[in-house]
Amino acid sequence: MSNIAGKAYAMNVITPIRWYTTWTNKLFFKAATLLPSTLKGLQTLSLIHYARWVIIPRDGFPHLDSSQPKEDLHYAYMLFFSNFNGSWDQYVDSFTFAIPSGLDLFWKWNIRYPKSVPLTPFHNYIRHNQIDTAHYYNAYPMAASNDVKSAQKIKKALIRFNTESSDKSPEDFLQDYYRLLNDLQHHFGDMKPTPIVSLSSYEVKKRYEQTRF
Amino acid sequence: MATKSGNATALTVLSPIKNGAIGETSLADITRERCMRLPIHEQSPLTKVPNTYLARLFILDDVFYESLPANDSIFNFSDITSIFSDSARKKALPRKDHLKSKYLVFSSNFHGDLDAYLTGMWEKWSYTDHQGTQRDVRHIWEHCVAFDKITDCAGFIAYIKECQLEASLFFNGSTDDSLQEQLKALYLKQEFTQFAMAHQGKSAAEIQQDFKAFIAHVQPDNLTAPTWLPGKSTP
Repeated sequence: MSNIAGKAYAMNVITPIRWYTTWTNKLFFKAATLLPSTLKGLQTLSLIHYARWVIIPRDGFPHLDSSQPKEDLHYAYMLFFSNFNGSWDQYVDSFTFAIPSGLDLFWKWNIRYPKSVPLTPFHNYIRHNQIDTAHYYNAYPMAASNDVKSAQKIKKALIRFNTESSDKSPEDFLQDYYRLLNDLQHHFGDMKPTPIVSLSSYEVKKRYEQTRF
Repeated sequence: MATKSGNATALTVLSPIKNGAIGETSLADITRERCMRLPIHEQSPLTKVPNTYLARLFILDDVFYESLPANDSIFNFSDITSIFSDSARKKALPRKDHLKSKYLVFSSNFHGDLDAYLTGMWEKWSYTDHQGTQRDVRHIWEHCVAFDKITDCAGFIAYIKECQLEASLFFNGSTDDSLQEQLKALYLKQEFTQFAMAHQGKSAAEIQQDFKAFIAHVQPDNLTAPTWLPGKSTP
């Protein structure tokens, strides 16, 4: 139905890569998996829920039955899936600005990859190789990735505060309560279907309702 | 294994769709329409599949690239120079590729192990379609190659595993808690934010008394209730 589910956007990108150079990309990905500190740049992009890169060898497309024709491809293919908050432009641009070299490393040797800087050729490349999603499900459409992470911190702090402070004298309780609010102030926030993506989200819902009849 | 990040798992499935048609509509287009007509948010069948964080379905019709096709047999001069120069690399002209099958792509991010998750898909995936008919997971995969041989949960798990692709890198920018844990935490965040706003400037005794009532109401340790339901799209 759409690339959008609440505050999340589903991106699917498929790009060709010469089969004899895929080992270099796999090496970069392996290094990133073994040394999570290399993903520090990616972690600063706190708008991402989950993302993944999948390399399909040119003879690696699933073949299940003799009735299915075998693929005969010149290239291997790299699939990129991301679940992020915000608009398409915000996401692609933030990638470019936050981790341009990391991006170039991950897409190294992909056919016609223009590099992440300057922006316009990179936009064109992603847009051209992107596939739209038919059904996108998000377990928490009202929450951004930062909300999920903040909620985890609030829950832990709330349980600890309740255990340690709820039976103190009112004055001590209040002191601890203010400290709790102070510690958690960056994590509060009322979650609603709010701006930018949710305007699109509204249109998605409206369009979906029209297909019901 | 790159398909796991802590307790979070990335599942990537490409199931080939048969190359036939019913009437004038290809089986791939029928599958696409079924995916597009799946109910969204609270009504999505994926709300019933335990521990699904985010998941998607789409049809991979073909492969493509941003360029004009040309000869690229083995390698050419610009391939060699590309080791040294990106501008030379850009001059290498790609060849044209086409897929012989269209693929149903299912991509899911979930908490826990694959077998338990696929069992949940087989047993729990259900919804009422736009014509009022009750459907299960077989309706989506119906026109995929060799899926007509699948009759039970074990067969479904084996089938999906045959269509599964390993992720080279799985990045978890969120948490790897169970979905119940995530939803409960989101519920508490919402409720406690409202509590804090409503109690600004009140006396110590009043806040303490209301806080105890608040805790009794929200039950922070109880993951089952009260909490957010999967797919909840409005406050």
